[in-house]
Amino acid sequence: MLSLLLSRLIQLPLILAIVFSVTFGLVWVLPGSPLSRNDGRQPPVEVQRAMERRYNLDSPTRFVAGYLNGVLHGDFGPSLQYRGQSVSGILSKGLPVSMSLGVAALAVALFLGTLAGIAGALKPGSMLDGGSLTLTLIGISLPNFVTGTVLLVVFAGLLKWVPIGGWSGPRDMILPAITLGLAPAAYIARLVRLGLADVMGSDYLRTARAKGASHSRALFRHALKVAYLPVLSFLGPAAASVMTGSFVVEKVFNIPGVGEYFVQSVLNKDQFLILGIVLVYATLLIVFNLLVDLAYAWIDPRINLDD
Amino acid sequence: MPKFLIVVFAFFVTCFAGCGFEAPAPEAENGGGTLRFISGAPIDTLDPQGTSWLIDFRMIECLFEPLLRVDPATQQLEPAVADALPTVSDDGLTYTFSLRPNARWSNGDGVKSTDFIYAWRRAMMPDMAADYSGLFQEIDGAEDFFAWRTQQLANFEASGDSAQDAWDEAKTHFAQTVGLAAPNDATLVIRLRRPVAYFNELAAFAAFMPLHEASATAFEDIDPASGNVTLQTAYFSSPDTLVGNGPYQLTKWSFKQQMVVDASPHYWAKAQMKNQRVVMQVVSDPVNALLRYHNHEADWYPGVPTAMPQAAELVDSNRSDVHYGSAAGTYFYLFNCQPTINGPSGERDNPLADSRVRRALSMAVDRNLLVEKVTRLNQPVAATFVPPNAIPGYTPPVEAGVAFDPAAAKALLAQAGYPDGAALTGLSILCNSEGGHDKPALAIANMWRKHLGVSVQVELVEKTAFRERRRNQGFTIARGGWFGDYRDPTTFLDMLRQSDGNNDAKYANPTYDALLQTAADQLVSTTRAAQLAQAEALMLADQPLMPLYHYTNLELFDPEKVQGIHPNPWNVRRFEAVSIKIRR
Repeated sequence: MLSLLLSRLIQLPLILAIVFSVTFGLVWVLPGSPLSRNDGRQPPVEVQRAMERRYNLDSPTRFVAGYLNGVLHGDFGPSLQYRGQSVSGILSKGLPVSMSLGVAALAVALFLGTLAGIAGALKPGSMLDGGSLTLTLIGISLPNFVTGTVLLVVFAGLLKWVPIGGWSGPRDMILPAITLGLAPAAYIARLVRLGLADVMGSDYLRTARAKGASHSRALFRHALKVAYLPVLSFLGPAAASVMTGSFVVEKVFNIPGVGEYFVQSVLNKDQFLILGIVLVYATLLIVFNLLVDLAYAWIDPRINLDD
Repeated sequence: MPKFLIVVFAFFVTCFAGCGFEAPAPEAENGGGTLRFISGAPIDTLDPQGTSWLIDFRMIECLFEPLLRVDPATQQLEPAVADALPTVSDDGLTYTFSLRPNARWSNGDGVKSTDFIYAWRRAMMPDMAADYSGLFQEIDGAEDFFAWRTQQLANFEASGDSAQDAWDEAKTHFAQTVGLAAPNDATLVIRLRRPVAYFNELAAFAAFMPLHEASATAFEDIDPASGNVTLQTAYFSSPDTLVGNGPYQLTKWSFKQQMVVDASPHYWAKAQMKNQRVVMQVVSDPVNALLRYHNHEADWYPGVPTAMPQAAELVDSNRSDVHYGSAAGTYFYLFNCQPTINGPSGERDNPLADSRVRRALSMAVDRNLLVEKVTRLNQPVAATFVPPNAIPGYTPPVEAGVAFDPAAAKALLAQAGYPDGAALTGLSILCNSEGGHDKPALAIANMWRKHLGVSVQVELVEKTAFRERRRNQGFTIARGGWFGDYRDPTTFLDMLRQSDGNNDAKYANPTYDALLQTAADQLVSTTRAAQLAQAEALMLADQPLMPLYHYTNLELFDPEKVQGIHPNPWNVRRFEAVSIKIRR
């Protein structure tokens, strides 16, 4: 396991370098200037040249050299769109918000998904199974902005049970976490249901029952453990994606996370922010996949990671 | 406990670090009233010279104060840091301001004339490359200084000088060549390169605000590699470092969440302030913002996006808290006026180079139908580029504008060589895809097909590509919008000068340029206004752009509860004059 950890850690900078090069190349050829404004007055040409010079946008080599030098010193450069904000500042303020919301959403997803999955697997074809299938179908097909807006209008606007968005305390997390967690919950339910359906008829479970294990003990102690392995591998990328925020959910609930930047930075051609965000996302993805692999090995010792 | 539960649990525990929660700001403690308003976008920076965003300026105006200011109620210029309007020399070139003796910075220091020179010098330097550098070029020597410093920086690496030496040299050069002088702490003398009739308007403009030199210099970054001198953004983002001279001082700023400012104990007009605290809540989703406003979590929602579907309902609602009025901006379509167009199939003749074709197209657009049925916001339809009633002392030549007349349009098009509209080909309307520009474009294309038989495509592209293509004349017809920066017609009309960097239509009419020049040299304001109106009329006859409607402002506040907000075309705000009925 240690060698796996080491080799993955060595791979990390290599993968990041590749991700950086590809992103940088794509961003550089994007049309338009990040310094121009949408409507209205553009500064004189000589001022625009001075701006480009200031941010090294006039030469790709100077840009890369300056950027990498900055990154090594923990400085991801300035944001060209949000003048006066640094990319490090934006990410360090927004990431904890998105991450904690993502974790809450994952908790919702795991809880709902597991429940629905078990319910479905216990009595296939029953009302319960139909209900859980419907729920997962809704979770997958309804777009976030619909669920989010409906939840917001009903529970915050009409019933006033929770605040109207914002980020002032745990109560603000409830609706967005549900909104964000529904889709992964649906996936998890399907995975659990399928996994359990496979396992429930297997020999070792029958043996367990024969040896006197109760139905629920057989289910929770023996079956779920195996049925959960696919969920675990789904959790890695799901965690990375859910924890880096969602443009829609964060906008609807007015949450100061980083989700918005994934979209806006590209539209604005905000080079520094795009690169910063892509690097952070790639790192998270790699780290979470590694965690999943490690957890796999720990849960199921038959899996040998050193091959 | 099964292992996988431990894994899941451990995962949550390790991840739940630092949620970044931010409690909403409480009411002002001394009971003087708190104004809570919604901003649709976060503040990028509080650097007065470092932005061109209206929403940034809105908060900057709380924290800084320029020489003069505009009273939102009367729309009159009045002294702010200056103790009176400036004395102007007979040739209109020298402005002398004397500063209020009781004008103070938030740390108690007096506001000095050198604080203005310090701030303005930043804006005149290529190091900072300020959006509004162009406005400062009216000051004598500013343009040359910019070029000199650009050259100095370009030669910096080769010269082998230290960055500090180069910077010292630049400061000396600035003092010697640029027309700004501070004979004493309370007097600021400005020498212009030409008479600028609207210089007082500029003196009231946010980019012309002062900076507290004594504290700002400590945050100067002198880059040893490039020689660039910039102010660290940290100076403007922390309540501990930012020193302002406005009615408020910064108390708290959480990017994308909220900004809190409290009354400054040293503000010279502190006694007249109607509230003690302003809280700006950042809510980018308009539906969320509306809910918040209706739940009384905010007192005021300025800048309700008119592109949102609910806007038309609000405008039609007759509610007393809905305030809808015209803004100092115009929505228009630009025509590419160059003789040829570079298309994908090579260079070809441009039918729009003929002003008759442009006029005919413009005459075939039913603007009333557009604002009633398409935008559904009943914006004031535009005949002129400069909005009427927006600029004191200037009446735009509405009669010279184009009126809806499909029959005359068809005749004019025939005269231009297109008796059959279908022969006029290769035209398309270029729009950016977001912001709801597609519907008006489709409606207008439809009007042209119906009234003239001309078939025009609508081309929606992503916004950076849109800007790029518009800038490089990669279009035949392109949508455009323009807001005035200062209250003078030239803030609009200069855009169509042949040499202007914003003249994306590439309109070139020497008579127009000459008229603008004559007006620029004119010292008598009524004559000048007449000359500018003449220039605008000439331009409207040529229709390099087709004005469609004037922009509008939509804001929400209950006049029973909130008093002292005076909606106006220029969005001039004075937060300290807004009183709020105490909430229970």
